[in-house]
Amino acid sequence: MVAELKYEISQNAYIKLVLHALKHKTTAVNGILLGRVNPQNDSVVEIADSVPLFHSNLALLPSVEIALIMIEEHYGSKGLGIVGYFHANERFDDAELGIVAKNIGDHICRYFPQAAIFLLDNKKLEALPMGKDQSPVMQLYIRDASKNWKLAGPDGGSRLVIKEPAANAVLSDYISSEKWQDVVDFDDHLDDIKKDWLNPELFK
Amino acid sequence: MAKAQGNISVAIEWLNKYLEIFMADHDAWRELADIYLSLQMYKQAAFCYEELLLSHPTVPLYHLTYADVLYTLGGLENLQTAKKYYASTIDLTGGKNTRALLGICLCTSAIARLSKGRSKEDKESPELQSLAAKVLEKEYKQRAADKLGLLTSALRSLKI
Repeated sequence: MVAELKYEISQNAYIKLVLHALKHKTTAVNGILLGRVNPQNDSVVEIADSVPLFHSNLALLPSVEIALIMIEEHYGSKGLGIVGYFHANERFDDAELGIVAKNIGDHICRYFPQAAIFLLDNKKLEALPMGKDQSPVMQLYIRDASKNWKLAGPDGGSRLVIKEPAANAVLSDYISSEKWQDVVDFDDHLDDIKKDWLNPELFK
Repeated sequence: MAKAQGNISVAIEWLNKYLEIFMADHDAWRELADIYLSLQMYKQAAFCYEELLLSHPTVPLYHLTYADVLYTLGGLENLQTAKKYYASTIDLTGGKNTRALLGICLCTSAIARLSKGRSKEDKESPELQSLAAKVLEKEYKQRAADKLGLLTSALRSLKI
């Protein structure tokens, strides 16, 4: 039986990924989630940070491999590991989890069995400025016992929450101020190594 | 258009038909390659890039992406060819293309892993990898010093 897990994502990790998706509206994008299992409660996975990865050629291995090596190296020294994968589809109405996402998810599961995939929910994102919805604009996918990726249902089982309840309000603000322009991903870094995929100044 | 509507197989069909007539439309080849990649049909994507390389042999992007596709396909032969194309990318771009330099390192390491225990006739120039590594380290030192440590350990983990 798959344990029922709660995935708690920090505001910064959450916003960074959504802004990245908004920066590259016409292509698919992906990202990596860093975190750890809560030491006091092993049914909670805390997602402390995220790294936006690519907005082009997501299906090609070399850049992914390099990115994962560097990301693991950097966050490993802080006691954090790769705990999930984020994906946003190219088309607005495509709510399916594609092959590339599943493959990368499977790969991450080899090292962290409770890894989850987070798929951007475009409809929820669009509705954001209009409502007071505090739930994340992402869908949570978990691997079941037969290693298939299944959408985590609202009827119980694993779920995703944002640690800071006002995160969506902050996100809406950033969207109106077009903050997404400041997000740097690994693709940008490979094109110009001066650009920092850690985005240290993003939320200052 | 079919792609925008989500009808991928129709899009592929149309692009293929179109390219039979308009073989020189490189945007179309790239579009088709992108679709194949999103479906992980790497062999077909490689074919598209081969066509692109035939008609535009001096565009470094095509060399680079072709190398990436070959690396992703895997297998000793593909890796060796990929390495050649990373090298030609570096040639065409004056030696500083980060992706191609990293590609050389990845290829060399993957080839070494695959040829372990095989005959030494495949003893390639380890100099190419160390040269690439040196250029990368110099670049990072000059322009991204805070990431130099990460680069160095990444390279170390690739050197078997």
